[in-house]
This record gives sequence, C-alpha cells and structure tokens, in this order.
Amino acid sequence: MQELLGRISALDPQASLGLRVIACFDELIIGNVNTRGLLSAAASLSGCNAGYRHDLPPRSLRVSPRGEVVASDDGPPTPGSCSAITAEGLTVWIERDGEPHSNDAIVLERLALAVRVRLGGGRREIDGRRDLGLLLDPAVPIESRRLAAARLNLVPTARYRVIAAPLFAVWDEHPSGAEDVVATPYGSIHALVVPHDHAPVPARPIGTGPATDVDHLHRSFRTAVVALRLCDPEVAPSVLADDYGGLVGLLADLPLDSDLPDVDSLDAIMSHTWGSTTVDALVRTSSVRQAARTAGVHHSTLQTRLDTIIAELGYDPLDNGIGRTRFGLASLVWRLRNSRVLDLPAPTRTSSPTPLR
Amino acid sequence: MSSVARPEFDPELKAGLAVVGGVFPPTITPDLIAFMRRSYASPPIENTLRGRAITRSEHTIAGHRGEPIQVSVLRPTGAGSPRPGIVFVHSGGLMFGDRFSGADLVLDWVDNLGAVLVAVEYRLAPEFPDPFPREDCYAALEWAATTAEQLGIRHDRLMVAGASSGGGLAAGMALAARDRGGPALCGQVLDYPMLDDRGVTASTGQFDGVGVWDRVSNETGWSALLGEARGGPDVSPYAAPARATNLSGLPPAFIDVGAAEIFRDEAIAYADGLWAAGGDAELHVWSGGFHAFDIFAPHTVVARGMVRTRDTWVEKILAD
Repeated sequence: MQELLGRISALDPQASLGLRVIACFDELIIGNVNTRGLLSAAASLSGCNAGYRHDLPPRSLRVSPRGEVVASDDGPPTPGSCSAITAEGLTVWIERDGEPHSNDAIVLERLALAVRVRLGGGRREIDGRRDLGLLLDPAVPIESRRLAAARLNLVPTARYRVIAAPLFAVWDEHPSGAEDVVATPYGSIHALVVPHDHAPVPARPIGTGPATDVDHLHRSFRTAVVALRLCDPEVAPSVLADDYGGLVGLLADLPLDSDLPDVDSLDAIMSHTWGSTTVDALVRTSSVRQAARTAGVHHSTLQTRLDTIIAELGYDPLDNGIGRTRFGLASLVWRLRNSRVLDLPAPTRTSSPTPLR
Repeated sequence: MSSVARPEFDPELKAGLAVVGGVFPPTITPDLIAFMRRSYASPPIENTLRGRAITRSEHTIAGHRGEPIQVSVLRPTGAGSPRPGIVFVHSGGLMFGDRFSGADLVLDWVDNLGAVLVAVEYRLAPEFPDPFPREDCYAALEWAATTAEQLGIRHDRLMVAGASSGGGLAAGMALAARDRGGPALCGQVLDYPMLDDRGVTASTGQFDGVGVWDRVSNETGWSALLGEARGGPDVSPYAAPARATNLSGLPPAFIDVGAAEIFRDEAIAYADGLWAAGGDAELHVWSGGFHAFDIFAPHTVVARGMVRTRDTWVEKILAD
C-alpha cells in the first residue's frame, strides 16, 4: 500500500495521507485484527518491515510489507535503522533504512495503539477512540466530552462549527483546528472543528454544521454529515446547514428507512432525465414561470412536467397549503436516500493535473 | 443509503479500502476514465523487475486488422531449453491499465517455475471497442504459438491467464482457440474474471458504491467495449464468455473470485458451466474479498491465501 499512498499524493499533492492511515488502523481495530495483521498493514503502508516485542508474556514478531513473517533473532530493533515506540513493556517499530518518510510517525503511533488494544490494553484504549471522536459522540458522558474538548484546546465559552468531509475531499485551503477521522454509519468521516465565524472553507465535497457551544458539538457534527450527504459534485459541492435553517437538523434525527410514501413517489419522477433539475427548480421557486427560468426551459415544457409530477404525486408541489412543504421535505429526504457523495471520490483537483511520478 | 444485504468485507481488506479508495474509486463513470488511466498506470517495469533474474524483450506484432501492437516477453535469465509459456492479459476494466498492471503477481511464475510470460498491450475501449481488445489478445496468442521456438516456449505447455477484464479476455481466448482450431492450451487462469455484460446476477446488485468496481463501473466498462450492443442479443462470447452456450472442449480452468464483489456469481456460474460440460475447473471463492484484493492489498491474510492457492495450481499445470 506504500505504492498506493505514493500514487495518491502524486495525483493530489494536498491529499491527507495521514488521515487515510488513521482510518485504516481504525478499521483494523474495529475488525479486531490480530497482531500479525496489524504489523502487515504497518509494513505495507510504510514499505519496510514492521515488528513488535512484548515483555510479559515474552513474544515478538516481525512482518514484511508482503505480510510474510520475517525470521527474528528476538532482539530489540537496531537503533538508527528503525523508528520505535516503547511503553508499558511493549515496543513496536518499523525498520526504515535512512531518513524517515513523512507518514512513518503516524503509522508507528497508530500501530502502537492498535497492538495495545489487541493485547488487551486499558478500557479507554479498547474504546479505540480519540478526543474528537469522544467529543462528537452524544453517548459519551458530558464530563468526558468536556475533558476531551479541553485536551483539544477548545474553549468552553466559545462557539464552533464542525465540518464533515470524506477522506477523498479536495481542499484548496485547509484550516487549522481539531480534526480526526470519526466512525459513522456511513464509514469514516473527516471531522474538523473551526470557530463559528470562520470563513467558508474552500473544499469539496464538505458539509458545514451549525454553530454551537462545546457541549453540543456532536449535534453540529451530525448535522454537518447530513449537509455533506446533500452535496452533489456538480451542483452543490459544499453545503452549509445554516442555509436550510433547522431543516437539516431535523433530517439528522430521521431514520432513513422510515416509511415515507411522499419520498417513495419521487422515485418515478427522478428517473426521468429532467427529474432532478425540475424538482429542484420547483422547490426553489413559487411559480411555473420562475421554475421554468431556473430550470432553463420554456414554461409550457415545465407545465407539462408539472402535470406529470402532480399525476404521480397526487398533490400539487406549488400548492401554497401543505403541498410545498411536503414536496420540499420529500425532495431533501430523497436526495439523502440517494446520496452518492460518499461513494464518489473527487478525482483530483481540476486545475493543473499532476503527472504520475 | 443502501439497504441491500451483502457479505461484509474482511476486516483487513476493509481497512485497506481507506487507502485503495484514493486511487481506485468504487464507482467509475465515463468521466473518470482519464483519471483512472493515470491512477492505474503500472509502476516502471524496471522497478518491478529489480532483483529478479528476468530478461525482458520488446516486440511489435500484428494485432487486430494487422495493426501493430506491443508485446513484452519476460523470461528467466539464461533459460536454455524450451520453457512453459503464459499469455498474460492485464486488468483495468477494458478501459485502463497496461500490459504490466498486476504483473508482479505473475512474475513469480517466471521466477519460480521458469515460465516465459508474454504480456500483451491490447488496445483499450472506448477508443478501440470490441473486437479490438479480444482480437489483439488472440493475435498475441497465435504469435506466441507460431513463434514458440524462437521465444523458447514449449508447444505442449502454453497457458492463458488474466485478471478481471483480462480474465474475461483470457476465457474468450480459450473459447476462440477451441473454435478456430488455434493453439492447444494446457490451462486458463481466470482471476475474478469479467465475463458477463448483462449485469443480471445477484452479486452485481449487491455492490453499489462500495469496494472496488461496482455495478456502475461495470456498466461503464461494458458500454465502453460494446456501446449500444451491451446486454443485447448480439454480443460475442469471445468478448463476454458468459454468453457462450458451449463450454465443452476447453482447457482446465482455475477461477478465483471474492465473495464480496460483483463478479462472484458470474465466476461461480462459469465454473459450474465448465463442470456441466464435463470440463475441468477449480473454483475458489474468498470470503470477504473485494474485487482484485490481491493486487491492492497483497499483505493481507486473504490475499496471501489467494495468491498461494493460485500459484499452487499453476505449478501443478506448468512445472517440469
């Protein structure tokens, strides 16, 4: 995988390889992978042998980047030819000849943590999560979250927003702030905390959550993930939850498999080539003429489509009673249910394509 | 959100996806072809061959319609007597990759078994749609057979092998060689082969937007090759071997595939078809495996098992 990491940074020099390493070990910990598997991953990521030695019970193992066990003289790693971490009777190392590579430190740190967890480290380590993961989980007791916030240098009296991005997001500018990968039902998400008045972050795709105090940052994160999932690579590469008022926060609490006939009935409409743009235009405007202008079609064309939509839905999406609300909400939930933003990597920054090697 | 039931990825492989996703997105649409050609280009072959006693020679041969295509021949340095030969067809969804993509895995056959590897630079879709890729491959097979003496390849021990799109093309070569009275083959290695343009299997529907090579990617690849003909009645079994109605008289087949990939069911069906026709097939379905996991995550337990099992079969067929 070292070669793959090299390819990623050749394709996108700004790519956060460290986050990928962290996400990789997060999955290994969650998957309860054994020490040989952990060393294999570390060796594969770094391109050199990786090893560990445990004092009690005495055990040691060295593994090659191909996952093969390397004969060991049982001795400690040779100083100078490798990097090592030793703590509480456990040493892990990677056998780098020469200068360390830029990801060696993070590989080693994650390996040390993962091996400790596998060997039955302390309770908090079994949890396997770091401060930001704890802070953003409402199930964690509030005292623990406040402590985590303090360790992240977040001020209790200040307000912040959480930004949610996939690991493959393209960042034109990367704000400094507490950040980490956080496990969610949608896979590992890159979370970043910025001050509430931070300028919009030029990155895509990203979702930006509402401003809250430290105690409610989990809420900002959940909402940011919904905003992220509302992103569309073409139309809306970045979504601010604020633009939707409380609506996105509402969606954060909605089980997506809940029975919603209004959403189901949009499936047929969205299967038309004109479906998505027409629905979007109807949501954002209040008359056939405005919607036609937004969608860039003649108003008679839009009227025909609207007739089709009314026939399919059984209500008028432009109806000033409850119809508009039903339609707007259903279209948001439909976009969430059919979100592909977490599947589709932004290939690379569009300007100045970088040749491989 | 997907509510489709599907087998989980193996934990080590799932961890690998955090890295793999950066070079090989799960969903490949036509607008990503240019990106994939850069991201899936093989590393310089000199690096891959470093430390191996392998000699490489380059040849320009007549491909489909007699047009020139490039072929590399990789032989054990100093091999005297004729050796077993393998025509190797690379992966890359019919649209990207080059003749050395995934080659490091098959170079062990040159190193350990003394085989001669013939790697073909077949032309890629969509610029070169069907029949270019398969007929370029077939031309390389015929060339390897007719030039066997100069290449130091044994006539009685010639095999085809390929991965993914290359696996489909290798199976197509075996079918064409049978039908056209072409070179006699001693085996066909079909790694997670891309066999069926119709996209109708259960496993095809199980993997959308996850892993490596999902349903949409597969449609992109087959459409690039077949255009409007994809899924229709007029697709050649040499392009999509799942279309073959007669699977008798084929060389022994080795087929491996992941349980967590879209090609699972078509690979199983192809092995089943070979058995039903009285043929010789060995099938391995690797639990928790995403597509081409041996290429992307060779350090994992599952990948080492897959490679070891495959190498054992190839040794059985090819070794002296």
